Amino acid sequence: MPAEDEEKGEPMTDLLELQNVSKTYGGLHALASLSLTVPRGQWLSVVGPSGSGKTTLMNIVGCLDRASSGRVVLDGVELGGLRSRDLTEIRRNTVGLIFQKFHLIPHLTAVENVMTAQYYHSMVDEAEALAALERVGLRQRAAHLPSQLSGGEQQRVCIARALINYPALILADEPTGNLDADNEEIVLEIFRGLHAEGTTLIVVTHDPTVAAQGQREIALDHGRLVKEVFHGR
Amino acid sequence: MGADKVDGKASGRAGGSFNNKSIETAATGAQRRPRPAARTLKSQAMAWRMLRASLTRRRARVVIALLAVAIGATALSALAAIAIDIPRQMAREMRAYGANLLILPEPGRQTVPASTTAQIDGLVGDGDLLGRAPYRYQTVRINSQPYLAAGTDLAAVRQVSPYWQVEGEWPSRDGQLLVGADIAAWIGLAPGDGVELEMGDSKQRFTASGVLSTGGGEDSLIVMGLEDLGQLAGESGQYDLIEYSVAVSGGDVEALADRVNATVSGVSAAGVKRLTESDAYVLGLLKSLLGLIAVIVLALTMIGVSTTMMAVVAERRAEIALRKALGASNRSVEREFLGEALALGALGGALGAALGHLCAELISRNVFHRHIGVTWWLPLVAVVASTAVAWAASLIPVRRAAEVDPAIVLREE
Repeated sequence: MPAEDEEKGEPMTDLLELQNVSKTYGGLHALASLSLTVPRGQWLSVVGPSGSGKTTLMNIVGCLDRASSGRVVLDGVELGGLRSRDLTEIRRNTVGLIFQKFHLIPHLTAVENVMTAQYYHSMVDEAEALAALERVGLRQRAAHLPSQLSGGEQQRVCIARALINYPALILADEPTGNLDADNEEIVLEIFRGLHAEGTTLIVVTHDPTVAAQGQREIALDHGRLVKEVFHGR
Repeated sequence: MGADKVDGKASGRAGGSFNNKSIETAATGAQRRPRPAARTLKSQAMAWRMLRASLTRRRARVVIALLAVAIGATALSALAAIAIDIPRQMAREMRAYGANLLILPEPGRQTVPASTTAQIDGLVGDGDLLGRAPYRYQTVRINSQPYLAAGTDLAAVRQVSPYWQVEGEWPSRDGQLLVGADIAAWIGLAPGDGVELEMGDSKQRFTASGVLSTGGGEDSLIVMGLEDLGQLAGESGQYDLIEYSVAVSGGDVEALADRVNATVSGVSAAGVKRLTESDAYVLGLLKSLLGLIAVIVLALTMIGVSTTMMAVVAERRAEIALRKALGASNRSVEREFLGEALALGALGGALGAALGHLCAELISRNVFHRHIGVTWWLPLVAVVASTAVAWAASLIPVRRAAEVDPAIVLREE
């Protein structure tokens, strides 16, 4: 699905391309011959009922799982056939993960959690990690442990951690699923800012309001793409 | 995060630097992640920071793991301290049964010159010399009946032969002696009675301050001071025998005897076989027992530490999955968790070495009524052994945990 960035008038290259991707677990088809392209800089929302294949899609795109068949190209690299450690390397360099349950390391402070992502990626830089926390409004909470932070604050630390290595793609799995309305709005505002800067976002959500924030929304059911909507941003 | 980074990280924004890159470059990240010294140093600092955080902020879990290691290290270092110190302690205890080194005249000579004692004392060493009793034997007569009299250093005899039982009192001045129980019975002597000794033309009256009974040959002896016997016999400075009580045991006594024979002329030294063999036998039994207990304790420690580490690692499965999701390799996860195990092993070992010494001291004071000897290298061995045990016990659980599928674990969580 080649596209044009109408505002900038530049050709949009595809960051992600899936061709007839299937994933089966035993006899169960989690994804069934799914084809999809995501241009750089796009905000894609993925919706669908439980068991529709959203998480499987996220795992394959996030290099946490492999497709049973089909072709997956992420940032110019075909993932099929790569060794586990190569997939880890691509995930480390290319993808920023945001989880519904935040998944912060409980005995590390907010800034240390962010620095952990730097540690596995490249050079640890505390000043930069603090700047990332400042961006999500948590500079003053940098020395707090996750247990001392609210759910919304923990999710913002998770976002700062996902952003710290400047990934080509942000993958967010139900990022507002555990947040109240106020914190949901804070997180969406951060996403809007990232999108405005050209970051590619794929957000899995059950929430129609959140889904509607994206440029494009696709719905999955039984592993198939059943609906696609462009919100015109 | 407004600008592209200068340290090699790439921008993820549209039109960034990811286009047309080869699989190899993307997979290895070689172009994007140079490893200058500064980066290595900062990574090491972060690794230490994570280790410190894990040890100081997970106190309850760390204390449990630390105790698992420390208890084993305490038991092992206490056992080792006792096993090392037992020969010294036992050698002293066994000296309650009498001298263990005899110095006799070499064949062809009649007596041992008194001048050799300083040389022999030097070979024994001050630390191991518990006592030395020289003996000179002469035949004396009481009421015209011949008896064997032994002249000796009575104060030294009390150290060398603490098993001698005296009814009455030990001689405390010249003119007093001990009469063997058999002689006392034959001639009807009791403590405090006077007795006249004859030797050749010489006669002298003594007081039997006590009656000696050992159950051995001493019961048929008259025991007196060397000077008293010398006056009676008209000689001095010659010994028939010197008994040494030395704080070494078993083969060490024989080795000492060999050294004396090789170094001191005119004497023939020999270990008291009955005692050296029983020393060695008892020590062998004790050492075997301690060795067996040490093996059992080591096995229990391994099981305890392994189980604890398994529980600790299982509890942190989600954290391991997260680290892998963030890009940690299996090796990196193993390195971090084994690093924690090594730190816990070293800390637990140090704690165990200190507690082990206290336990050994307690046992030594209660059993042997003496302080335990300090072996400087034992704490070092305890720390190294505990670290090795913690590492070995953690290896399998950590490797297994590093294999977790992050997608599955994070979904479960």
